[in-house]
Amino acid sequence: MAMISEVPGASAGPESGDGITANGVSRSFGTVRAVEHMDFHAPAGKVTALIGPNGAGKTTLLLMLASLLAPDEGTISVGGLDPLRQRTEVRGRLGWMPDTLGVWESLTAREILTQMARFYRLPAQGIGQRVSEMLERVRLGGLADQPARVLSRGQQQRLSLARALIHDPSVLLLDEPASGLDPGSRVELRIMLRQLAAEGKAVVVSSHVLSELDEVADGAVFVNKGRTVRQQTTAQAAAEGRRYAISGPDAAALAAKLTEFGLTFRREDGRHPDVSLMLQSDGDAERLLRDLVLAGVGISSFAPATGALEETYMNLEGEQQ
Amino acid sequence: MSQVIRNTSESSGGRTPTAYFAAIRDVVVLELKQRLRSRGWYIMLAIWFALTGVVTWLTWASWNASLEAQRAYGGYTPPEASSPGSMIFEVVLAFVLLFALLVAPALSANAVTGDRAGGTLAILQVTLLEPGQILWGKFFAAWLAALAFLVASAPFLVIGVALGGLTPGHVVVSLVMLALEVGIVCALGVGISAMAGRPLFSIVTTYLAVAGLAVGTLIAFGLGTGLSHGTVLANQPQYRQSEPLSQGPVQPEYTCVGPLQEQPAMRTERVAWLLSMNPYVVVADAIPYRDRTAQQNSYMPAGAIENISQGARHALAGPEGSYPCANGEVKPQYLSQTTPLWPLGLVLQLALAGLLLWLGWRALRTPARRLAPGTRVA
Repeated sequence: MAMISEVPGASAGPESGDGITANGVSRSFGTVRAVEHMDFHAPAGKVTALIGPNGAGKTTLLLMLASLLAPDEGTISVGGLDPLRQRTEVRGRLGWMPDTLGVWESLTAREILTQMARFYRLPAQGIGQRVSEMLERVRLGGLADQPARVLSRGQQQRLSLARALIHDPSVLLLDEPASGLDPGSRVELRIMLRQLAAEGKAVVVSSHVLSELDEVADGAVFVNKGRTVRQQTTAQAAAEGRRYAISGPDAAALAAKLTEFGLTFRREDGRHPDVSLMLQSDGDAERLLRDLVLAGVGISSFAPATGALEETYMNLEGEQQ
Repeated sequence: MSQVIRNTSESSGGRTPTAYFAAIRDVVVLELKQRLRSRGWYIMLAIWFALTGVVTWLTWASWNASLEAQRAYGGYTPPEASSPGSMIFEVVLAFVLLFALLVAPALSANAVTGDRAGGTLAILQVTLLEPGQILWGKFFAAWLAALAFLVASAPFLVIGVALGGLTPGHVVVSLVMLALEVGIVCALGVGISAMAGRPLFSIVTTYLAVAGLAVGTLIAFGLGTGLSHGTVLANQPQYRQSEPLSQGPVQPEYTCVGPLQEQPAMRTERVAWLLSMNPYVVVADAIPYRDRTAQQNSYMPAGAIENISQGARHALAGPEGSYPCANGEVKPQYLSQTTPLWPLGLVLQLALAGLLLWLGWRALRTPARRLAPGTRVA
């Protein structure tokens, strides 16, 4: 997304440039320790992915970031403000989209957004226009006056996103925003998240659909079993190397040539006979492909086997075992 | 997004009373839009209207039937003043109060738990709304929905008055008291539902609380009376010769003679506060009836409202105020107690409702430190 928009006010002041930060937060429910000494930082103007398996504490962390749940220990800062003491100021800057849909079924999409705008104390005369804008932005303009119960899951999901954005928050927390969306809507969501980041917002996306996060996230925080396992940018993840899958009509010749180049590879038992190997960078991939083609080896496909984030995730999974 | 709306400068405005109540009104609007668009509410209202109508008609019919029977076989003509009005009014009032106590928990006890289950509570909590605004909004919405049922039954109370004997003041006072009682039950329901994790638990608990007020207070009063044996200083009443249809003043019917002695008595005034929390007692005691101390009214038949009210006031007065010749003084007869019990009852009910709302408010505060067992924030 090469979209650059100057938004007055959105990133004004030094504190709002800080995004959202959690330092050593812990939270337990009874005897279950959902989150233990987790660190998290999402800078303004970037999309940060929160990645982890089911039950890793993603939703608990997001609830604490959304100022709904108080951490047992540790601190949270939203643009330099403490949610416990400056509740109103923090809430005005936070947009939260829960993983449960939660719509008022008898109300229309327009009414839901209007009510939310009132609850955020937006100036009354601007609410109507703002609501129409948001409905257009999530492509619900045509369904604006239908009761929310007739909306499909994906449409409710988009309504939920519009609801989180209605007060133009500087920090956006999205819990599994892509679940239930069709491929077209997923692409749209991706574009929209990039736009929001370009506007200077700190965007936090939790998900376990990693291939999507690869395309949208600038950085990722990996969590597992209530702990922060790793924080890295997508660029760092890519620099750690990526597994590439190569296939061709003559698997034996391909294997021979790779051995000749002195590369370690492994044979994959997929539906197509192919090999896979780790490459450190895009440059390595480019060189290898050129060398193979120049050497006369038939190549029918040459592509990353996994996303950059998925590689890290799978490695972490391995370490956890 | 070219238009950016900043609201941090406005956030201080939320602390003025006007802005605080405006937000409550917004929550009420949201709640009522949801409630009034569900067909179930209208069906319940229609059933309610029909049922109250049937009860009114049956009461009137049975009154007429018994009058006919008396005329045909007894040759007895009832006195002019005992028109069916008072009876229809009392039956309809008791019926409306009974059903109000049954309907109000259904309209209020799911107010917060339902949102919790549907995932919409956290969406409200994450906005600039304060927990108090959410709670008051839910309470007023539940109350308004319940008041619609009272409005639907008002015509029948008016019929009760129109058929004779009573003043419009009776309708006004009884409707105000019914509205207050319904409001108290709604407050109990909303408070309990804010604390409870599951809708079923909250609804059952609210019904139990209402049963506690309507039946439990009677049982507690009965048992409590048995435990409040005491004595009262009194001397002997000397009753006059019975003079039916005498022209002179009826009271006092006795004079007090002899030395003061300790007499065993039930100190009911110690447990009268239990009785006062009963919604029937509060409503009946607040509705005015004829003054029995005026002579021409003293032999009127007493209606149910008057009996409940006087019974409760009798308990409140205790032996000091009702035992014949307690402290050597002539005491007013039964049906002549004047100290009302309903203000005490209303205060106690409001205190209970306030306590539950406060506990509910604590449970709605965010960022939450403790959660109701078995619940998620979202």
